[in-house]
Parts: sequence; C-alpha cells; structure tokens
Amino acid sequence: MSSAETANTYSLAQRSLTTRKLHGSSHPWWFAAPAIAVMAAFFVVPNALNFVYPFTDWSSFKNTINFVGFSNFADVLADGTVLKALRATLIYAALVAVFQNVFGLALALLFERDTALNRFCRAMFFLPVLISALAVGYIFQALLATGGALNGTLSAITGQQISIAWLGNTSWTIIVVTLIHTWKWVGLTMIIYIAGLKSVSVDVVEAASIDGANRWQTFWRVRFPMIAPAVTFNVATAMIGAMNSFDIVLATTKGGPADSTQVLNVYMFKIFGQGLFAQATVTSLSLFIVVVLIAIPLIAYLRRRENIL
Amino acid sequence: MRRTNRTKLMAAAMSLTLLAVGGSAAQELAGVKLTMWVAQASATLAKQPAEAFEAATGAHVDLVVVPDPYESNIPTKLATGEKPDLAFYQPTVSALPVIQPANNLLPLDGEPWVQKIGTTEQGLGIINGVRYAAIVKSPSISGVYYNKAVFAKAGITAMPQNYDELVALAKSIKAAEPDVAPFYEAGGDKWPVQWHLHALLSGLDQAFWQDVNANEASWTDPRFVAAVAKYKADIIDGGLAQANYQTGTFEEQASSLIDGTAAMIFQVDALTPLLLSKLSVAELNDKIGWLPVSATAPQSQFVADQTNGVVAFKTGDAAREAASKKFIDFWLGDDYAKFIQTNNYPSIEPAVPSPAGLPDITVAQSASLSSATGMWYLYVLTAPDIHLYLNDLLFGAKTPEEVADAMQRQFVQIAKAQGAAGF
Repeated sequence: MSSAETANTYSLAQRSLTTRKLHGSSHPWWFAAPAIAVMAAFFVVPNALNFVYPFTDWSSFKNTINFVGFSNFADVLADGTVLKALRATLIYAALVAVFQNVFGLALALLFERDTALNRFCRAMFFLPVLISALAVGYIFQALLATGGALNGTLSAITGQQISIAWLGNTSWTIIVVTLIHTWKWVGLTMIIYIAGLKSVSVDVVEAASIDGANRWQTFWRVRFPMIAPAVTFNVATAMIGAMNSFDIVLATTKGGPADSTQVLNVYMFKIFGQGLFAQATVTSLSLFIVVVLIAIPLIAYLRRRENIL
Repeated sequence: MRRTNRTKLMAAAMSLTLLAVGGSAAQELAGVKLTMWVAQASATLAKQPAEAFEAATGAHVDLVVVPDPYESNIPTKLATGEKPDLAFYQPTVSALPVIQPANNLLPLDGEPWVQKIGTTEQGLGIINGVRYAAIVKSPSISGVYYNKAVFAKAGITAMPQNYDELVALAKSIKAAEPDVAPFYEAGGDKWPVQWHLHALLSGLDQAFWQDVNANEASWTDPRFVAAVAKYKADIIDGGLAQANYQTGTFEEQASSLIDGTAAMIFQVDALTPLLLSKLSVAELNDKIGWLPVSATAPQSQFVADQTNGVVAFKTGDAAREAASKKFIDFWLGDDYAKFIQTNNYPSIEPAVPSPAGLPDITVAQSASLSSATGMWYLYVLTAPDIHLYLNDLLFGAKTPEEVADAMQRQFVQIAKAQGAAGF
C-alpha cells in the first residue's frame, strides 16, 4: 500500500467517523420505527390510557364515556375489597420473592458442579418454567383438592382418612398458592444463580480458602456478595412477576377462600367481567403505582449492593 | 360502489323471499355463515338444531365455545369489538343490560314462535317492553333432591309443607341416622350454596325488587338479613350440612346423594343431568326423589340461566340477521320436537308433547313451574355476587349483615354505571 493510498484510506475513515458523529449513530433512526410503532401501539398507548379511563364512567352498559373526576377512586376506597386485594398482593409478592430466591439459590448451590446428574436435575427443575401457568394451576388444583391425590397419598401412608382443605383455608392457602408459583418459576431463578456463581473467579475462592475461610464463610463472605447482580435480577423479577400474578391464582383458588388469595389482578378481572370497566382500570392504575413505588426503591437498594464489585 | 352493494343486497333479499315462497328450501341460505357463542354447559345443546338447520337451509352454523365464566366473558368480548350472530344468554332483567340490548340485539317481538311457548316462558327475555331473547328450554327450577332409602330408614312419609318443616325433617334424619349428612353443601364450587336462600326469600315479591331497583328498598332489608341468618343458624351452625361444607363440590353432591351419605341436596335442575351420568332413568326414579319447598308453601323457585335463552345480534348484515331469526324460528318451530327429544327436555310449548321416558323428577319439576316463584335474578337491574358473599359467610369472614351490605354496595355500584334512575 502506497503512502498516498494510506492517506486516502485514513481520510475516508476519518470522514465516515465524522459523519457518524454528526448523525449520532451508525444507522438512520427510522430503522427503529417499526419497533417503536409496535411498542407505542401495544404498550405506551394502553399504559397512557390507564391514566385516563379511571377518571371516566366507562362501562359495558353504555356507549359513551364521560369524565367523572375522582368518584371511581372514592367508590373503590369506600368498598374495602380493593384494599384487601392490595394486602393480598403484597403478601403474595413478598412470599414469592422469599421462597423463589431461597429455594432457587439452594438448588443452584446443589447443582452447581457440571456433572451429568446435575445437568439432568437442572433440566428437571427448569421444566415447569416452560409449562403454561394455567396448566400448572389446574394440575395443582386437582392434586390439592380435598379428595385429591395428595390427601389420597397421605391417607394411604398414615392409614387414616385425611381430608385437609389445602386450598380452602383463609390463613394458609395463600402460602400454598405462593409455593405453587415458586415451583413454576424457581427453575429460572436457579439457572441465573448458577450463572452468577460460575462467574465468580476461582482465584478469589482459592484465596479465601488459603486465608483459612471454611466453606460457609467462603460462601457467605465471598461468593454471595459477588453474585449481587444475580440477586438484584432475581429478587426484582420475582417480586414484580408475583405482583402481576393472575393465572395461577385463578386456576387454583379463583381468589378464594373468602377473598384471602384475591390479588389485584384477579379482582380486576372480576369487576371487568361485571361490566365496570372504569373501576377495573382504577385497580389497574393502583397496581401500576404500587409496583413502581416498590420496585424503584428495591432495585435502587439492590443495585447499591453491587457497588463493591 | 355503495349502490352496487345495496343492489346486491336487495337482490339477495329478494331471491331469499322468492326461495322461501317457492319452497325449494334445501339451499335457501346456501353461503350464509352464522356464528353462535355457546358456553361449556350449553356446548352440546345447540348441536342438534344447528345441524338440522344446516341440512334444511344450506346455511352454515359455527358453534364457538366461550370459556367459563361465560356471563362475564361475553361482555368482555363484545367490548373488544367481537360480535357473533347468535349466543346463548341469560334472558333476565339482571343480565341482559350488560350487553346493551337496545344497541346490540335484534328485537324479537312478533316472531312466529312467541305465541307457541308457555306463558311463564313468554314473560322472560323482555327489557323495557322489548323482547330480546328466545326461550328454548324450560327455566331452571330449584328444589330439594332426596335419597328415598334414607328417607324411608328415618321413617319419613310426609313431605315438608314449608322451610321450617324442612329443617325439622333434616333434624329428624340427623337424629335417626347420625352418619348421614342431612344436606350436602357445595361451598367449594360457591354457586350451589344460594338455593336455600332463594327458598327462604320466596315471600319477597316482584314489587319489593322493583323498589330495590328504584333505590327505595335495599338488600339490607331486615327480611333479607334474617333469611341469610336463618340459613347460617339452621343449616351451617345447626350441623345440618356435611363436615366439609366449605370445600364440597357440585360433582360430590351427586355422588353423596346417590350413595346415601347425604340425605338431601337443595339444587336447581342442573343436578339431574349429573345424576343421569351416573344412573339410568329407571335407577334414578327408584333411588332419588324431589320435593318443592318455599318459606311458606310446597312451591319451587325458578330462574333463567344462559342455557334457557338465545339472543340474536345486530351485525349490520341483513342476510345474516334474517338467517339468525330464521334459525330461532326453525329451532322453536319445525325442529322443536326433535330438539327436546335429543336433549331429553320437557316441552315448553303446550302444543308439543314432552318426550316419553323423562325421569319422574323432571316431570315433577316441570309440573311445579306453574306455581313456582321467580328468583330475584328475574327482577333486579343487576344481580350482585351472592354466591361469593355466602362463601365468605361459610368461612366466617362475613356476618349476615355484612353479606347484605356487600350485596347493596355492589348493586349500587353497577346501578350507577347503568345510569339507573334514583342512583
């Protein structure tokens, strides 16, 4: 390559760099237009409308939609059901976040090494993630029915007639349902924790053991802080996923017994079905606000834990 | 373009009329495709008339099953812009307004079948004086199914003449046969728990419910609260229901009644097909009896559900709208005898005899209809979720007063949304 050619190539490269700088990117912005259009139509607009409809009298009973101010909010607050549903949603989300992460991390530690058996077990625990949530709900509903397989098995083992109402207890059923939710999603949490654990440098772990740390100390003082990004992701997704839970609850308990598992989404579905669309959007807006109010500080806190890395 | 379409339409309509008059019925509606929404519970019901109508006219009727909860999925689907030609729909004052009949449904006044059906049935499906639903089958009738052997063993010969006598009878069974549950309550399925209450409230007539509609009376009326309290005190707290009344199911109502672990089931006639899936008609006649009872008399209660009524939608397509009406006319006309024969239903048309070999229970229920009292579903603007609130009652999460409060609160909320006068 002659020096003239080199200079030419250099100036060309220089020019394209300048052009790129001028336009801010290597592609025209409208390449993103289809994606933006889809996003706008199916996400941005519906979410924006979610801030409009709660202030209207939209219902299935008439064709017109009029603004009514805050009267829907007043109605919904006066009727304690939505606050009960909010409470159920928060309990549900907290339980799922704890169960899914404790069990997910335990499974990750158990199946961390790459043996053939571990690979098989990982696949087995990941399988429920792929099953439809409704199907999972109906399967467990059948298993846990008073005359279902679980009571049948317990009766056979103990030799007595056992008829525990697993899905019919106003205090404990919410725990049973969150455990079902956990069973469905724990495989995903496990895989992410395994990936996190594998990204921890062997040198660090070795250094810890040379310094005299036992296995528990190595895990709790060295490896656990190093998987902070995985914890952030898992806790946040478990919590947000649980707050938006609908299908598993609907299939197992339909929100019962006596509304004890009626999370906001199930309540919303119920009043939407009564034709009270505006009241349903009030619930939907409340859920949105609650998720934002909880998710932002939670994620901010978890991200701060990552600063040590 | 518009004119061409209109011309085409007129031509189609004219040829339709000509064909109908000409009597070459076989392909009269060839190429017309109708969609009918059906529920899981009514999925097979429309099959026979649809197939017969297809054979007779050349039209195609597509039966689309809309999953449960049907009554709330229908308005949701309509709200998203989907619209069938026909649908099963509860033909009551409380359910029809949800789908805006004046905007969405074809008026069916003056159709040839109206005069053919019985007078009780003729009174259903009317909103603001306009008929919007065709009644294809007898309304649901509520009463007490009982195990004949259990009654015989407890020495019961006289049937109760009112609700208090029914409770006394249940107590005598409990005393005579401690292992038998006098009533089997299906709290797990929620909806079956309400029938006692309808019997207890048979004294509240149409005028009372009209006052409720005008916001001049309330669900918190002492008579309503007293009825809920009586059900709880006598049946639940009085130990007249089986031990797992909170989680019992509709399915188990049938099996426990057949095997005699339960003496009685207060249910609508939806229990009969379930019993018949386990027993032959002869066995059913032999084992199971039925008795009507209200608060004060041996009378049954009736209500219409989605299996009773068929509505036709305004679709803007004249040919399809005409075909929809024709289908209903065919169903309740030429095909009616075959329809009730296929489904083993009692006839609702005085001129058409009921099929032979109906179970004794069905015959008794059908006979009780003339003196039966209508449940509130037939009269109120909107029916609050009594089954959910009674479920709370069974779990001790609501008192009878709170059940009444919840009914009133939900009623007011929906009445307001409907724009009802007085709210």
